[in-house]
Amino acid sequence: MDILNEARKKAEAAELYEELREGIVVHFHGGEIEGAGSERVRARALRVIAGGRLGFASTAGGGDAALLEAALLAASHGDPAPFRFTDGAPPGSPVPVLDRDVLAIGVEDLIAWGEEAVRAIKGEFPDLVINATLGRGTVTVSVRTTAGAAREETRSYLSMTVSAERIRPGDIWSVYASRTVRRAGDLDREKILGNLLRELRWGREIASPPTGKPPVLFLPTGLPVLLLPLSVGFSGLSVVLGTSPLKGRLGERAFDPRLSLTDDGRIPYGPRSQSFDDEGVPTGTLPLIEGGVVRNFYYDLRAAALAGARPTGNGFKGSPMGGGGFRTPPGPALRNALLAPGPASLDDLIRGMGDGLVVSGVLGLGQGNVQSGAFSNNVGIGFAVRGGRVVGRVKNTMIAGNAYDVLRDGVREIGAQREWTFGGLYPPLLTSGVSVVAR
Amino acid sequence: MEDRLREAVARSRADYTEVRWEEVARSRVAFQRDQLMALEASEEAGGVVRCLVRGAWGIAVFSDPDDLPKKVDEATQLARTAAGHVTDPVALAPVERVEARWEGAMGRDFRGVPLEEKRRLAEAYNKLILGHAKEIVSTSVRYTDTWRRVLYANSEGTFVDQGIPDVTLMLAAVARRNGDVQQAFESLGYAAGFEAVQGKEDLALRAAGRAVELLSAKPVQGGTYTVILDPQLAGVFIHEAFGHICEADFLLKNEPMRRVMKLGTRFGVEALQVVDDGFIPGARGNAPYDDEGVPRRRAYLIRDGVLTGLLHSRATAHKMGAAPTGNARAVSWEHEPLVRMRNTYIEKGTATLDEMLAGIDRGLYACGAFGGQTMFEQFTFSAAWGHEIVGGKIGPMVRDVVLTGNVFETLKNIELIGADFQLIGSAGGCGKGGQWPLPVTDGAGHVRIRNVTVGGR
Repeated sequence: MDILNEARKKAEAAELYEELREGIVVHFHGGEIEGAGSERVRARALRVIAGGRLGFASTAGGGDAALLEAALLAASHGDPAPFRFTDGAPPGSPVPVLDRDVLAIGVEDLIAWGEEAVRAIKGEFPDLVINATLGRGTVTVSVRTTAGAAREETRSYLSMTVSAERIRPGDIWSVYASRTVRRAGDLDREKILGNLLRELRWGREIASPPTGKPPVLFLPTGLPVLLLPLSVGFSGLSVVLGTSPLKGRLGERAFDPRLSLTDDGRIPYGPRSQSFDDEGVPTGTLPLIEGGVVRNFYYDLRAAALAGARPTGNGFKGSPMGGGGFRTPPGPALRNALLAPGPASLDDLIRGMGDGLVVSGVLGLGQGNVQSGAFSNNVGIGFAVRGGRVVGRVKNTMIAGNAYDVLRDGVREIGAQREWTFGGLYPPLLTSGVSVVAR
Repeated sequence: MEDRLREAVARSRADYTEVRWEEVARSRVAFQRDQLMALEASEEAGGVVRCLVRGAWGIAVFSDPDDLPKKVDEATQLARTAAGHVTDPVALAPVERVEARWEGAMGRDFRGVPLEEKRRLAEAYNKLILGHAKEIVSTSVRYTDTWRRVLYANSEGTFVDQGIPDVTLMLAAVARRNGDVQQAFESLGYAAGFEAVQGKEDLALRAAGRAVELLSAKPVQGGTYTVILDPQLAGVFIHEAFGHICEADFLLKNEPMRRVMKLGTRFGVEALQVVDDGFIPGARGNAPYDDEGVPRRRAYLIRDGVLTGLLHSRATAHKMGAAPTGNARAVSWEHEPLVRMRNTYIEKGTATLDEMLAGIDRGLYACGAFGGQTMFEQFTFSAAWGHEIVGGKIGPMVRDVVLTGNVFETLKNIELIGADFQLIGSAGGCGKGGQWPLPVTDGAGHVRIRNVTVGGR
């Protein structure tokens, strides 16, 4: 049976989301292959509007009739639908997100790359414990509605995560590098390992950081400390609910004039690029901050309807890269977040710091009152700078501040070399006004 | 399905084969402010095959039950490919063959509660929070229930059929005054029925009241303090800071850390007892049989301050010459089991809160938990709120309280352990290796620790 045709008999409108995830993965533990895995999972979610009310249900492995019945049951106890499902208007040109070369990569290739990474690190740091996960595959998503939308797309992914652990009693630390791409040629394994080795070299010695409010340089991998609150604050849902500090501030200069942040779903082969979101709305390019000015918020269908705004193609179920979000209804989320680069090289930034702290990664990201912008984190991977030189890694060090304050008053310099991390493309950012406490 | 599982593992040509098939029925109601964000009663099913060939794992995850025989072949082939690269083969510690059926008890079976009633319950809590004060601008109220039926068979003849209930409630309030936004929450989670989340109006009001109160609280001043953790945060501490490094898969390929975590080593004061228990009636972390079909075993991690045990899967137990403890758990059918905690707690001590406060001239009372994270011995956890302690008395509320430290030093710095033990299952869960949220509980009484680093401005 065609579930949408069946749904039409009992509901005014329906939307069917289907995903098929197929992939392989290998795990290295302690420098050695531990196993290889595969997945083939088909999952679906159905939303209906029946009697004016919205209903939702999802399944993996379940049949059409049960799925429809569950969605109708939910609608019978649901609230009036604040929005309509996407119609059949042409979705615009597709974004390239499938690279068939990724599919040719086999388990043996992934194992070889993992072994290569282990050798490269062990060659210089023989005592480290090295773990790695490499995977590749595709996610095929289709969104069809009774309003005539029929979108389908297969997206490829290839990912590599490597961690290296230095373990001495009383002194343990770990660095990691991770990258997910859609195109085989974009996985620059040498660069991933290069970043990791740079941090290992920086961290040979232990050093104490300057405390108080020294200059703090966030590497791209550390920048989510400041950008995570913004990803919540720019969500149209947070604005509608009144929990965003940016509510009512469109057009206002809320950030340093050198800051520009764009949410882009259409970068060819971008790690979170896709032609349409999980509600079938075409993705686009959305400036969030331009020259420090708040330009736009991002919306899924619901938030857009509540705000009286246009949906921006930001409706996502779970993580768009990892899949598995079939269980939840869509909600607003960023696609590829791009922070505009500045002029300074990383070496210049460090030289210009004098005495300061480099933050590459923190523990407890997002655990706190993220909406307010407040952050307070242990610097898991960080380095002390003395006289413009990295002198060693830090221990027992905390940073604290408010992301909105730092990004308005505390931007000293923006770096030139951007890197993909956590689904965004970020430059290093040198800041002031961040508190550093160390023991 | 039971027969298909038994047949598939019997036919497998791998050295060892196991199949887990899960049938899950779940419902969820979620409100944010006046919006019903989710209302759902859904079912799903799926499975995972795991094969061992010459000491390497092959794993296949699938959602179509007809694929099962094919997936056993696929996992075998994957294992064979990986085996060509293995120098330190995986082997499994022996366990007794098990044939078992088990179902978790529920007072009122949530599968029989109409979705409408679940909605009414969440909606009432939501209204209570929204109406509490003019500063409350939004909420996040979420009810979930999950019945996870897990069929497990392996090629050694073990078969387990378990039904595991899980019910959670999250009550969060967001308050705003001028530009400042603060949030507070209370959350619950039990291996129990619908009754476990009814009648929680007091918790809803407590969350709302605290969100408003936090608007007037100052950020904590960073520094080093004598800290009293409330039972919830003390539970998160023992889970995050200590529990994770007792997971033997972390130690397996890690010779230096294995020396640090040598059984018999003193880690804390004589009064410190730490336990991971696979079954406490109603507790969220219950795993009567783990996802390798191993019956639960109570693991004493620390007894009288000394390390006495670790958490094991069959593979880690084999390699470390220990007995499997029943800690191989998977968050769902989409994943293979990892070594995970269950119900982890510091046993009841003798001190009262007043005894703990006495003698603290300037300290910090840290309460509730946003969460925590560890990087080996380095841990961090975020309190939901705190109070200054001044002259032995609980003083003004402070916010943005994050504590950090080295677990081995911190365990030694524990001064007093409270008699007011609580086992706390929250609505969240534990994350590891991409598997989240695994139901667990943490427990402790109040705990006083000297010399704790607190981040702040």
